[in-house]
Amino acid sequence: MVTSRGLWVRWSWRDLRGRWVLVTAISLVIALGAGTYAALLSTSAWRRASNDASFALLNTHDVRVRLSQGSTVAEGRLAAVVASIPSAASVLGVRERLVVPTQVSAPHDLLVPGELVGTATGTDAGVDDVWPSAGRLPGPADDGQPVVVLDRQFASANRLPATGEVVMSGGARASYVGLGQQPEYFLSSGGQAALPFLSQRSFAVVYATLATAQALTGAAGQVNDVVLTLRPVDRRDPAQRPVSQELLADQVAAELRSALAGAKPAVSAVVSTRGELPSYRVLYDDIAGDAKLWRIVALLVLAGAAFAALNLTARIVEAQRREIGIGMALGVRPAVLAVRPMLFGTQVALFGVLLGVAVGWLVAIPLKAVLVEMLPLPVWVTPFQVDVYLQASALGFCLPLVAVAWPVWRAVRVQPVEAIRVGHLAARGGGLAPLLRRLPSRGRSYRQIPLRNVLRTPRRTLLTVLGIAAAITTLVTTIGFLDTFNATLDDAQHELLRSAPERLNVSLTAVEPADGDVVRAVRALPETDTVTAGLMLPVTAGRQDRTVDLLVEVLDDAALWTPTIESGTAHGGIVLASKAAADLHVTVGDTIEVTHPQASPEGLQTARTVMTVAGIHPNPMRAFAYLDPATATAFGMSGATNYLTVTPASGTSATQVQRALLSIPAVASAQAVRTTTEGMRTGLDEFIGILQIAALVTLLLALLIAVNTTSIGMDERARDHATMLAFGLPARTIIGLAIAETALVGAAATVVGIAGGYGVLVWMAATTIPAVLPEIGVVATLSTTTVLAAFALGVVTVAAAPLFNIRRLSRMDIPSTLRVME
Amino acid sequence: MTVLPSSPVDARAGAEGTRIDLDDVCRYFEVGDTVVKALDGVNLHVDESAFVVVLGASGSGKTTLLNLVGALDAPTSGTIRLAGTDLSTASRAQRTRIRRNTVSFIFQSFNLFPGLTALENVRFGADVAGRADAADVAARVLEQVGLAGRAEHFAHQLSGGEQQRVAIARALATGNPILLADEPTGELDFRTGVAILQLLREQAEAGKTVLVVTHNREISRVADRVIELSSGHLVADGPPAGGRAAIDDLRW
Repeated sequence: MVTSRGLWVRWSWRDLRGRWVLVTAISLVIALGAGTYAALLSTSAWRRASNDASFALLNTHDVRVRLSQGSTVAEGRLAAVVASIPSAASVLGVRERLVVPTQVSAPHDLLVPGELVGTATGTDAGVDDVWPSAGRLPGPADDGQPVVVLDRQFASANRLPATGEVVMSGGARASYVGLGQQPEYFLSSGGQAALPFLSQRSFAVVYATLATAQALTGAAGQVNDVVLTLRPVDRRDPAQRPVSQELLADQVAAELRSALAGAKPAVSAVVSTRGELPSYRVLYDDIAGDAKLWRIVALLVLAGAAFAALNLTARIVEAQRREIGIGMALGVRPAVLAVRPMLFGTQVALFGVLLGVAVGWLVAIPLKAVLVEMLPLPVWVTPFQVDVYLQASALGFCLPLVAVAWPVWRAVRVQPVEAIRVGHLAARGGGLAPLLRRLPSRGRSYRQIPLRNVLRTPRRTLLTVLGIAAAITTLVTTIGFLDTFNATLDDAQHELLRSAPERLNVSLTAVEPADGDVVRAVRALPETDTVTAGLMLPVTAGRQDRTVDLLVEVLDDAALWTPTIESGTAHGGIVLASKAAADLHVTVGDTIEVTHPQASPEGLQTARTVMTVAGIHPNPMRAFAYLDPATATAFGMSGATNYLTVTPASGTSATQVQRALLSIPAVASAQAVRTTTEGMRTGLDEFIGILQIAALVTLLLALLIAVNTTSIGMDERARDHATMLAFGLPARTIIGLAIAETALVGAAATVVGIAGGYGVLVWMAATTIPAVLPEIGVVATLSTTTVLAAFALGVVTVAAAPLFNIRRLSRMDIPSTLRVME
Repeated sequence: MTVLPSSPVDARAGAEGTRIDLDDVCRYFEVGDTVVKALDGVNLHVDESAFVVVLGASGSGKTTLLNLVGALDAPTSGTIRLAGTDLSTASRAQRTRIRRNTVSFIFQSFNLFPGLTALENVRFGADVAGRADAADVAARVLEQVGLAGRAEHFAHQLSGGEQQRVAIARALATGNPILLADEPTGELDFRTGVAILQLLREQAEAGKTVLVVTHNREISRVADRVIELSSGHLVADGPPAGGRAAIDDLRW
C-alpha cells in the first residue's frame, strides 16, 4: 500500500542517507545556530547565580557610610552613629574602616595607583569580608603589624606570587601574606578616581586590618568609612511582611543621613546602599544589558542558520518535485505527498537539535573561561540551562520544518504534468535574466552565464544571498562592536594626549594649599619639570529628573592641557562631554544643578550650585567635565589643590617620577595619562572576549553556509556543466564560470551583510550600548579591516568554494549526468 | 511541413576529419554483481560524409556507441579512432579537444542554457570552438535554421521544435565536421521532427558526417547508411532496405 506509514518513514530515511553529507551540513548549521544561541543566553543565568553566591559568601554590606575625601573621624564615632538610629536593632554586623588612596609599589617593578582598605576586626557577623584565593588572611597576631593581603585580580593580571612585599605612599612597607577579594573590588571601579575601564592590572587594592591600615598611613585611631549588614526581613512576621530588604536598607540609609547631619559637629558623608555599590550595580546591571547584546548576537547567528537551513533544505525538496508530480499523477493526496519531505525535514531538525546540545556545550566551554577571566568572582556557578536549551531547540526544530513546508506547498500547486515533464526544471522562466538581454554583450557568450544564472532564479539567489548575508551581518556586528569601542578609545586617547602627552596626573590624599609644603615638595623633586596645581572633585549634575555623575577638573590658564571645545567656550561655566550634555538634554547656555562638595569652616559639606553649560568637549568619556577657576569658587576651595599635573624633567621617565613621588606621604597616586587610556583598552580587551567567541562561531557558520550553498549550486548546474563538457569546454573554464557566479552571489551577500551589520550596529549604538555602558558616548564605527575581512569572507571564500568541486567536475560522468538530469 | 533554409554550413575538416573507426569495441558496465555488455565486439568504419542512422531498440547500445564516438566515454576494450586520433588511449585533455573541434552534440532534451538567449546559445558553440567570427557565425546559423526572429528569446520562451533547432544551430556553429544526434526527434511532434531531419540531412549533403541515434525505424529510411544494433552487437550495416526514401514520404 503506497500510503503505508512504514513506507514513508523508510523512504524519507533513505533520502536522509542518500544525502548524508548535505544533511550533516544542514544539521551542523542548525546546531551552530541553536547551540550558540543557547550558550550565549545561558551566561545570564550563570552570572546571576554566581553574583548571588559570591556577594552572599562575603557578607556584602547593605548600607555604607563614606566620609568626604580626606576627612576622618575618631574610631568608634561612626559605629556610635549607627547604634543611635531608630532601626539599630535591624543591624546585623558593623565594621568601621579606613579606606585610603595610595600608590602601590609591588614586585616585578610595578608602581600603580591603588587603595588601602583597613577593616576593623570583630567577633560579630562579618561585613565585606575578604575571600582568600591564595595564602592566608592576617590573623589576630598580625593586627597592627605591616601584614596585608593583596588584591587577587591585580596579582593575577600581573602574575605576582601569592606572597611578597608592597610599598605604599610615604614609603610604608608591608608584607602581603596572601591574595584575596572583597565585594567592593570584584570589579575595579578605579577607586576614588572612578574612571571607567580602569584595568585590574593597573589598580592595586591592599586589604589589612584597621589597626594595620592606621599604622601604615599614620592615621592612628582614625576611620573614614563604616559598612553594615542588616538582618534578613522575616516574611512570616506580619509587621515586616510589606518590607523588603531593599526598603529596609533605604530606611536605614535615610536614618543614617539624618543622624550624620545632626551630629555635633556635623559629619559630611555619603550614605549608600548595596544597590549603589559600583561593583554590585555593574555586575547585576550588566547582566540585563549584556543579555540584550547576547540575545541580539544569538538571534543573528540563529537567523543566519535559519536562512541557510531554509535555503539548503528547500533545495533538497525542490529536487523531489518531479517525484511529487508523479505521486500527484498517481492520485496521491497532497497531504500524503507532503509526508515524505516533512518526515525528512523532521529528521534533519531532530538531528540538528541533538547536535545543537553538543555544540552548545562546546561553545559554553570558552564562554565560561572568558567569563571567569573577565569577572573573577569567588564563586562561579554554571549549570546546564535546560529552559534556554529547550527554547533554542524549539527554534532549531521548527525552522527546517518551515523550510520543507514551503517548497512542498509550491510543488503540490503545479499541474502534475508540469512537475513530471523532463524539461520542466531546465526550461523554467528566465527570472530577471531577460533584463540583461538588451545589454551589449562583450566577449564569449558563456561569460554571460554567471550573471544570467544569478538573475535567472531570483528567489533562489535571494535566499542564498540572505543566508550568507545573515552570517556576514552577524560577523560585521560582532566585530563592529570591537571597532566601535576601539574607535571610542582612540577618540578619548587622542583628546587626552593632544598636548603634554607625557604628563602625569597626581592625586593627593587630601585637599592641600596650592602653595603649601606638598606642592613645593613635588616641585622640588629633580624628576619633575612643570607642576601645576588643580582640583578634581566628584560631583553630580542634574537637570529635571536626569542626573549624571561627573569628575570635574578645575583648569586655569596655565594648565598643561585643556580640552578641545566643540561648541561654546571654556569660561563662564561648566564644560561637559557631549555624551553628558546629551544625557542631561542640555546644550550650551542651558543651566544644570551641580551637587558638589564645598569647603566650610566645619569641613567638607554637600552643596548645590546652578551652573551654566559654557561649552561641550568631544571626549567620549561622559564623566570628564571642566571648570574655570572663577566658576569653581562655588567649591570654596580657592587656593587649594588635591590634584597635580606633572611633566617629567628632561631625560626622566614617567616611572622614575612615580617612584620619586612615592616618597611624599600626601601623594595618593601618580599615573601617566597615557597609562589611563591604555588601561581602558586593556579593560575592553577582556570585555570583548565573548564577542570574539561569537565572531568565531559566526565565521564558521558563514564558511559552512558558503561551501554548502556553492556545493548545492554546483549540483543544480550539473546539467549545464555536462553540456559544456560535451562541447569541449575545459573543466577549468567551467570552474571559472562557477567561481564568477558564486563571487557575484558572495558580493551581493557581502554588500547586504555589511549594510545589515552596520545598521544593527547603529541601532545598538543608539539603544543597547547606552544602556550597557552609559558612561561612554559611542558612535557606530566599522574599520576598513572589518569591511575587508567581510569582503574576504563573503566574496573570496564564497567564490573559492567551487574549487572544492574541481575533482568532481573533471571526473564527471557526462553521459550519466545528462541522462540522470533528463 | 516546415520549410527550412537549405544553405548548410561548410565543414572545416575534410574527409580525414570525418573518419570514424571502431575496432572490436566493447563497453561493459558493472551494475551490482552483474556485468552489462552495452557494446560487445563492435566493428564500424565511417569514412564518408553521410547521413548515418544508428537504429536499435531500447538497451541495444546505440547511445553508448554515440557516447564513445563523441569522446564522452572510453571503451572497456577495443580501439576507437576519430579523425586520426585514438580515443582509446587519449588523455582527458585530448578528448576535450576532440569534443571541441571535431564532434558536436545534439541532445534529445536540447540541453540549452536557460540563462542565455537563442542567439547566445548558438554563439556558445562558436565560442567554444574558438571561432574568431563567432558573433557573425551565430547570427548566420540561427538564420539558417529559421529562427532569426527568435534570436532574443530564452529557452523557456521557445517551443520544443524551436529549442531543438537552436540546439542544432549551436552544434553547427562549432563548425565541427561530425554531428552526433541522440534521438533528436524524440520529444517533437511529427511535423517538427521531419523538419529537423531535413535540416540534419542537409548538413550531411554539405559534407558533414551526421550520426543520428534513434529507435524509430521510419527515420532510417532517409539515411545514406543504417547501422542496426541489438543487445550490444552490430547486426546490420548498409543502405536502407528498399533504398533511400524522400523525407516527404516519412510517416510515424
